[in-house]
Amino acid sequence: MIYKILTTNIDGQTIYARIDDDGLCRLTCTEDYPEFKAWIEAGNEPEPADE
Amino acid sequence: MSLIVDGTTGVTFNDSSLQGAAASPYVLKNRIINGDMRIDQRNNGASVANNISGIQYSLDRWLIYGTVASKFTVQQNAGSVTPPAGFTNYLGVTSSAATSVGAGDIYEFVQYIEGYNVADLGWGTANAKTITISFWVRSSLTGTFGGSLLNGSSNRSYVFSYTISSANTWEQKTITIPGDTTGTWLTNNDTGLRVFWSLGIGSTYSSTAGSWQAGGYYSPTGATSVVGTNGATFYITGVQLEIGTSATPFERRMYGQELINCQRYYYRFNPTSSSSNTLGSGFVQDSTNAQILHFFPVSMRTSPTALEQSGTAGNYAIRSTGGVTTCSAVPAIGDANTNTSQIQLTVASGLTGGQAILGRAVNTSAWLAWSAEL
Repeated sequence: MIYKILTTNIDGQTIYARIDDDGLCRLTCTEDYPEFKAWIEAGNEPEPADE
Repeated sequence: MSLIVDGTTGVTFNDSSLQGAAASPYVLKNRIINGDMRIDQRNNGASVANNISGIQYSLDRWLIYGTVASKFTVQQNAGSVTPPAGFTNYLGVTSSAATSVGAGDIYEFVQYIEGYNVADLGWGTANAKTITISFWVRSSLTGTFGGSLLNGSSNRSYVFSYTISSANTWEQKTITIPGDTTGTWLTNNDTGLRVFWSLGIGSTYSSTAGSWQAGGYYSPTGATSVVGTNGATFYITGVQLEIGTSATPFERRMYGQELINCQRYYYRFNPTSSSSNTLGSGFVQDSTNAQILHFFPVSMRTSPTALEQSGTAGNYAIRSTGGVTTCSAVPAIGDANTNTSQIQLTVASGLTGGQAILGRAVNTSAWLAWSAEL
């Protein structure tokens, strides 16, 4: 599982996509999402958005 | 019917239950939500194996945890046994292996109770009230089992134990616990109280039962390990936590009421139509993006920070004056608060900025969910 930058929403907030091991995105979140924060605190970095 | 009114202990009924406080113990007395295990929004009766994320929920409000993944499964009505009289559902744990529990290992399930819902217990003060926990349990194993109460900071614990005497037989257990007069017990929308049931706890987190102590402990020392036996079962229902020194009959709540209680912490929108289910109305932002607004059925505990969905873009669509356009990306979370969530819907092309639109789920595989769990 990884997180990837998905988009910047209409309010200027960065939205992240969680990509599961099967390649599907079943969750999108803000930087305040507890699981995302824990993932970042574990030393991970989200992948950049698609071009 | 006999009724004993005592100025010191309260009112005792003919089934020996005691009403010890002036407030009615028969209305909204149970601080456990989904204690009869009816609500299962996430899994709808499917089995889930424990992972190690630490925030995995099974039936609504019931969190499961295991140090090593896939050592047990949890399923509503696992094994399809007949529940105790008056109940239709139970939470069923099945051990997936004969797991050796190391000193620092934890296998358990727990309910986190919001501080608002236990504020009147007065814990952390000289006026701390006694509570009683009652539940029905059935296991393929017999012996001494246990669990604990903890505060949100895991620095105050009360370990409890109970005995299961007969294998594969429903037994009701009652545990009375004096209120904790020290420690910090939150009374806001954060974690007020946690109630754990042990499925296998290592020595580091085990301690003596029957008294309040500093630190975080989850089980009495030497308790039976459910995960230690491959195929072992542990079923539970009718869980109640109430003020007083004895257990009163389980509080029956209407299904809709209990569903709402659960949705304060997790809300899942499930389509019922195979073709058109409106998610919300909104506007087109540009040629590929639109924003819609979805209202929650109850104020959530906190503002959700994530949106869950099926993982398939084609399950969602935008209805505009130009017709129905299938989404090219999965719905994404937008600005959310405790009452509403904005959702971004994306299509490949063809939208007209400024138009009003509807967001839709186009089949019953689509769903949306928000979490505000403790």
